[in-house]
Amino acid sequence: MQKGPASPEVKAKIIAYLETVTKAKSRDVAVAIGEKKGDVDNAVKELTAEDIVEYLYITTTYICLKGKVGAPE
Amino acid sequence: MTEKKTPLLDELEKGKWPSFVTEIKRAAVRSASAAELLPLLERSYRERIGHWKHGGIVGVRGYGGGVIGRYVDVPEDYPNLAEFHTVRLLQPSGWFYNTKTLRTVCDIWEKHGSGLTNMHGSTGDIILLGCKTNEIQPIFDEFSEAGFDLGGSGSCLRTTNCCVGPGRCEHACYDTLDACYNITNEFMDELHRPMWPYKSKIKFSGCANDCTSSIARSDCSVIGTWRDTLIIDPVAVKEYAANGYPIKSQVCDKCPTSCLTYNKETQELTIVGEECSRCMHCINMMPKAIHPGKEKGATILIGGKSTIVQSAFMSWVVVPFMKLESEDDYEPFKELMRGIWEWWDENGKTRERIGETIYRLGMGKFLRETGIPPVPQMVFRPRANPYVFWNQDELDKSGTMLDGSAL
Amino acid sequence: MAVVKAKLDQGPPNYKEMLPPIITENYGKWAYHEIPSPGVLKHVSESGAALFSVRVASPRLVSIDFIRDICVLADDYCDGFLRFTTRNNVEFLVSDEAKLNPLMDALKAKGYCIGGTGPSISNIVHTQGWIHCHTAATDASGVVKAVMDDLYEYFDTMKLPAKLKMGLACCLNMCGAAHCSDIAIVGVHRTPPVINHDVIRKGTEIPSLVASCPTGAIRPDPKNKSVKVNDDKCMYCGNCYTMSPGMKLNDARNDGLAILVGGKTSNARSAPSFSRMVIPFLPNTSPRWPEVVAAVRNIIEVWIANAQKGERIGEWVERVGWERFFSLTGIPFSDMLIDDYIFSRETFRTGAAFKY
Repeated sequence: MQKGPASPEVKAKIIAYLETVTKAKSRDVAVAIGEKKGDVDNAVKELTAEDIVEYLYITTTYICLKGKVGAPE
Repeated sequence: MTEKKTPLLDELEKGKWPSFVTEIKRAAVRSASAAELLPLLERSYRERIGHWKHGGIVGVRGYGGGVIGRYVDVPEDYPNLAEFHTVRLLQPSGWFYNTKTLRTVCDIWEKHGSGLTNMHGSTGDIILLGCKTNEIQPIFDEFSEAGFDLGGSGSCLRTTNCCVGPGRCEHACYDTLDACYNITNEFMDELHRPMWPYKSKIKFSGCANDCTSSIARSDCSVIGTWRDTLIIDPVAVKEYAANGYPIKSQVCDKCPTSCLTYNKETQELTIVGEECSRCMHCINMMPKAIHPGKEKGATILIGGKSTIVQSAFMSWVVVPFMKLESEDDYEPFKELMRGIWEWWDENGKTRERIGETIYRLGMGKFLRETGIPPVPQMVFRPRANPYVFWNQDELDKSGTMLDGSAL
Repeated sequence: MAVVKAKLDQGPPNYKEMLPPIITENYGKWAYHEIPSPGVLKHVSESGAALFSVRVASPRLVSIDFIRDICVLADDYCDGFLRFTTRNNVEFLVSDEAKLNPLMDALKAKGYCIGGTGPSISNIVHTQGWIHCHTAATDASGVVKAVMDDLYEYFDTMKLPAKLKMGLACCLNMCGAAHCSDIAIVGVHRTPPVINHDVIRKGTEIPSLVASCPTGAIRPDPKNKSVKVNDDKCMYCGNCYTMSPGMKLNDARNDGLAILVGGKTSNARSAPSFSRMVIPFLPNTSPRWPEVVAAVRNIIEVWIANAQKGERIGEWVERVGWERFFSLTGIPFSDMLIDDYIFSRETFRTGAAFKY
């Protein structure tokens, strides 16, 4: 993972992308928005601390907008 | 609805071995969820199926793991188990505790959860079994205030663990307790913010007895060893002999490399150092007389994992010997791991452990791209087929005969 | 609501604060150890200091009452220090030899089980089972309890040929290193998931569900807005059930347990080895699994009767040959024990010398 503050632009692109899907792997987000995976991971770290994005562990770890995926039915 | 009698579980309070059923009953005195776990488990014993669902929740701000979401599949019958999540806490190196620390765990968990724990989970964490969703953040906040932190879950560096090491073992070839503590602290982002294709584990064992079973259970096994020759104390050998210990049959005859010779007349034990493979057998048998050498360090092995998906793998050697004596020595290890993880993150498929990625793409490619030099210690034996994927860039591609004419 | 400012990433508690003074003083200076009696280790330092560790059985699934009880004992006899082992037992760390026997007496009076050292069985490393896991094919704690009750005579003595390290995994994901144990008990599902299309339609993201299958057995079923399973490809891992509760894997009539033997992780004498399947299926007879208990005891008794001193189960079997293992134990052999997965060829006998 990169260190230091994340780019606000990358953060905005991640949020915009996550609005279009239920959940995604961070690598797929990086490919979809055309950014380096390390930069995406770093931005996700900040977005989770800000309570905008959350991690989900369902067979592997995904990210999603906070609250978008609920408890299993 | 929820029958209070548990005749099947009661059968498991009989016998000498300590009973987990008794433990659930103790927790049930003060916890409604633990009290409901008994009839639920009784039902599983009667029906012979489990009743849990998995959920992806983490629920702690800033964290990507450490909580496993669990929901009962019949919440109408067991409302107190509708949410029954697991919390993982990082354990102290070597599972050493003072009682004040353990009581703190108990007090916070009594307040917010079922009162049931695993001491410890298979990966090493303190496992707190069973809490509601709205308790997750308060649980973390209180444990954090008391000096604890969450363990790993999901596609991250999982909680590391180590053997008892120099804390209480004469065999330890490096400080497993300190290495585990230091290296865990270095990789907090990797542990708490899952970003990889799948999970990755590190275990630290102080010698080749591998008491943490690192070779079977971790993607990176750090196993203590030495480079020079083991040390034989001739006086102590004579003491073993005087006590009638069968040195030849139990030690020399079982040595896999036959590098030890015992002279019964002189009661002398000698070794051909170059032939010794450092397996620990003789040291285990005669701990007072035989000791690891002076030039100590660790072998780094990569790839261990359990069965899913490609079959179980045991870790294999990538660095035969690395010094791990001081904090400065940890730096090359950390660099090695960063490089390996980066390669895996780049090349691995989702839910592919690092050993599977290396197996799929080839050890040669892995070594070339991570810059690790190939050495014979990496293999039991070399390949039997001639199908080398030659690097065409390194060959003469002039396209001509030896006399210079066109091919 | 009071807001506590949580500290992120502070890491594990510092082990240095968890060590009794005798360990801090003799850290890295231990010279040798002895086992004065089953369950008691005596570590002697270069300085001559001696630390006694008393090993006590734990069911691993313990209440906070259990933890508080052992804390009282540790305060009374161990200056407030104890540890847990890699195989989930408790070790009381006694630095004053005068307190060793009083501690042992107190432990026995309170019903704790002392043992698990040297050539013995220390505990069975195990998983969650029906207590807490969604893919469990069997319970874990209950099978362990039943087997350990039966093997107790090998816990509080040191009369086995060598160490006996057992593992139990409640499904074939095999958490807990069961795959390299002297004896492994593994929960097995044998039938593909039963699909509840309503549950899938309601709350499941189909592409993620399809992708969750490691063998590609799950296909989208657009007509049904659900999925189909290719039963021939399913390996019953439960990944799909993790992704969606609509993929029910539990099957009371067909789930059960398999037994594998001969694994180890230590390098002593021979390289670490995988456990090998010797019994493909035993029924899930809760609450005390008599078939599993009897199968494990049979293997252990044949090992005791035939092994040389110091031979782990796998070393003994490799010496006499697996074909002899089956004739000595009387365990029936079947095609299910012959590997047909990825790395099978190396297990076929490519030689003409063998026994009956």
